[in-house]
Amino acid sequence: MRWMFRALCTLSVLCCTAVYASDEDYPSELVNIAHLQNLAATAQWRALLHYRTNALTSGVTGQADDAKFYLAADGKTNPQAELDATLRAFFAPAIVETDTTQHPQCRFVARYHWLKQALHFDAQRLPEQRCQRFSAWRAALQPDMLTLVFPAAYINNPSSMFGHTLLRVDGVGQDEQSRLLAYAINYAANPDGEGGVAFILKSLVGLYPGLFSISPYYVKVKEYSHLENRDIWEYQLNFTADEIERLLMHAWELGQVRFDYYFFDENCAYHLLSLFEAARPSLEFTRRFHGWVIPADTVRALAEQAGMVRKIVYRPADNTRLRFQLGQLNENEQDWVAALAAGERVADDPLFARQPSERQSVELEAAYKYLRHQYTAGDVDTGQSARRSRELLLARSRLPEARDSAVPPTPQVTPDRGHGTVRLALATGVENSLGVQEVKLRPAYHDLLDPQGGYTRGAQIDFMDVGLRLVEGSNRLELNELTLIDIYSLFPRDRFFHPVSWKISTGYTHVGAPGGDRIGLYRTQGGAGMAWALGDQVQVYGLANFTADISGALDKRYAVGGGPSFGLYANPVDAWQLHLVMQSQELRWGDRHREESATLEQSIAFGQQHAVRLSVRREHTWNSTWSTVMLGWHSYW
Amino acid sequence: MKRNITLGVILALAPVSMVLAASNNVGCGVGSIIFKGQSGVAPQVLAVTTNGTLGNQTFGISSGTLGCATDGVVDTPAKVSMFIDTNMDKLAQDMSVGSGEALNSLADLIGIEDAAKARFFSMTKAHFGEIVSSDRVAALDVMASLNRLLAADQDLAIYARLG
Repeated sequence: MRWMFRALCTLSVLCCTAVYASDEDYPSELVNIAHLQNLAATAQWRALLHYRTNALTSGVTGQADDAKFYLAADGKTNPQAELDATLRAFFAPAIVETDTTQHPQCRFVARYHWLKQALHFDAQRLPEQRCQRFSAWRAALQPDMLTLVFPAAYINNPSSMFGHTLLRVDGVGQDEQSRLLAYAINYAANPDGEGGVAFILKSLVGLYPGLFSISPYYVKVKEYSHLENRDIWEYQLNFTADEIERLLMHAWELGQVRFDYYFFDENCAYHLLSLFEAARPSLEFTRRFHGWVIPADTVRALAEQAGMVRKIVYRPADNTRLRFQLGQLNENEQDWVAALAAGERVADDPLFARQPSERQSVELEAAYKYLRHQYTAGDVDTGQSARRSRELLLARSRLPEARDSAVPPTPQVTPDRGHGTVRLALATGVENSLGVQEVKLRPAYHDLLDPQGGYTRGAQIDFMDVGLRLVEGSNRLELNELTLIDIYSLFPRDRFFHPVSWKISTGYTHVGAPGGDRIGLYRTQGGAGMAWALGDQVQVYGLANFTADISGALDKRYAVGGGPSFGLYANPVDAWQLHLVMQSQELRWGDRHREESATLEQSIAFGQQHAVRLSVRREHTWNSTWSTVMLGWHSYW
Repeated sequence: MKRNITLGVILALAPVSMVLAASNNVGCGVGSIIFKGQSGVAPQVLAVTTNGTLGNQTFGISSGTLGCATDGVVDTPAKVSMFIDTNMDKLAQDMSVGSGEALNSLADLIGIEDAAKARFFSMTKAHFGEIVSSDRVAALDVMASLNRLLAADQDLAIYARLG
């Protein structure tokens, strides 16, 4: 009898121990199954942790630069350790959520849900925590669709020169007339007020932290459409409901995590792609981009996915609408607009009221918009403009027309169909009766004569254009030029708008010298002035420039001076563009000499990805004359 | 009799109390004055603004409670006031015309059904002078006027609970 009693006790103890042990070991059990399934090596885990294969050494590195993103001490470089630590962290005791603390299941909600599915979590052994904050956030967004938002390039701001991308989360029930109510997720550097050149230099080496943020879309529209006057392109995307869930869960995980901002390769566009990858790892976007990521290229990558883009919507900037509206008015009507905005005439004026109601409406709307533009530009006194703005709108409200007349047409070529940002040029020609062969490669972005579609007219950014030349008689391929940056901003002035046209360039180039030699020098040039439109197809401009040259071949090793340049920039028919520049520089300090040149460059585009270029140049420096004619073929991708 | 008077007094005070309720949102970025936004920013070469956060209405995701947003999403009580505050100039323009994206979005925020929108748009157009009563109105004033006008309109009175 006694042995039975003892056996029963032992058995029950063993049973109890067995049950007790399996609850204790559930974390280890999950870790083991995860190892067996090799989950740490999957594309999904890689996407959630932003692991990137190291270029030079073996292994991977996570791109989050914030320790709190990793649960394992070596989580940044060890996907397996990170996955193990994540699983174990899910077993943490329940806590009360506060503004600054969440349970690991909630802080890493995307990891939790993916692992839960992959490992079939047993809710009895791993209690699921209620994530109040995440649920409330997600419920407030009411996600229905994702849209990639692309504000166009903004040349007056170095950090925005190549455009920007952000993600809009469209809510259930929203339509084309209520997109403002959506939310926008944005990754950006936090430069603490620094801008301009300091921003460029520091962001090149990742000295600024970057964060994901969220805001009502109307805040972003105000910033881009109104303040910066950038046209916006909205690409509505076809992601499934599950994918949208995954993306939002992952966005939540990224909430307060610092990713150092690198201007070239870990910028807004890159990080947005990583969000898409978390939703659909098969996209593998981030692998495609090495060295640099340009927003327009990421838009292209997305648009190229079969079935990805549902619809493209064009959202013109305030000034685009205003210019269009003014373009619809004849000179007399424009006179009214100018007078009303300036307060020289009022809407009560009987002469004004004599016009058809519909014309009055358009003029009042344009005058109001123009006044707002002047205010934003700082061109008009605050008090006066506020009073006048109200009066204009009050007058407008008394007219029956109930539709805004400023609806510019959507440009034919959308940004994803514009020419590729990398350009290869092959050219042949003659320079002072010697044959010349040339090859040039430019990684970014767009010059005045590249095919226009999808780009802003008059805005040139040439970046790292490398030109090699083979001259007849020499069998050496020489570096002819290395343009670090060459920016042109040509915008015509008219009675309403007075932009300053300007240019800046710096890089290594050659100029002609006496005795048939070309000397190499490092040249920096800048200029500012004005441009005017003569009809729709032609612009003329004048700039006052400075030039600073550095070269061992120069007397005193430098030359500095300045002088005017005049140009004609025309687009006679769709695919044909030309640019004529005449420049005269008096270099008065250092190696004193004069330099004069006249260049006529023409381009004929074949579609968006190919063009023929013909360039004729005559240069007179140090009393020697150089004539060059080059004919080339440009390819873009 | 006394009950009727009391009821009358309560009903008369109701719109005022809505306005007062709205004023609790002061401090949530609802201090904008109409026709006064950022000035002198736009055409500057090498402007300081970057591709990033501008103003105080952009929040880090999971940033907790800040002002009238929770984790970056505007709290329901503040939605209308914040929208009006940010978009006042556009709203004014749309109201004077009688249609537009900002005005339609506001209608959606207020909860106005599609069938009633045309009436709402023509109401704001007809009463433009009252809503934008001066060239210095603030978002709260606009909201108060809208409340009053909605309440006074037979078909739109059910929407008069802004803020």
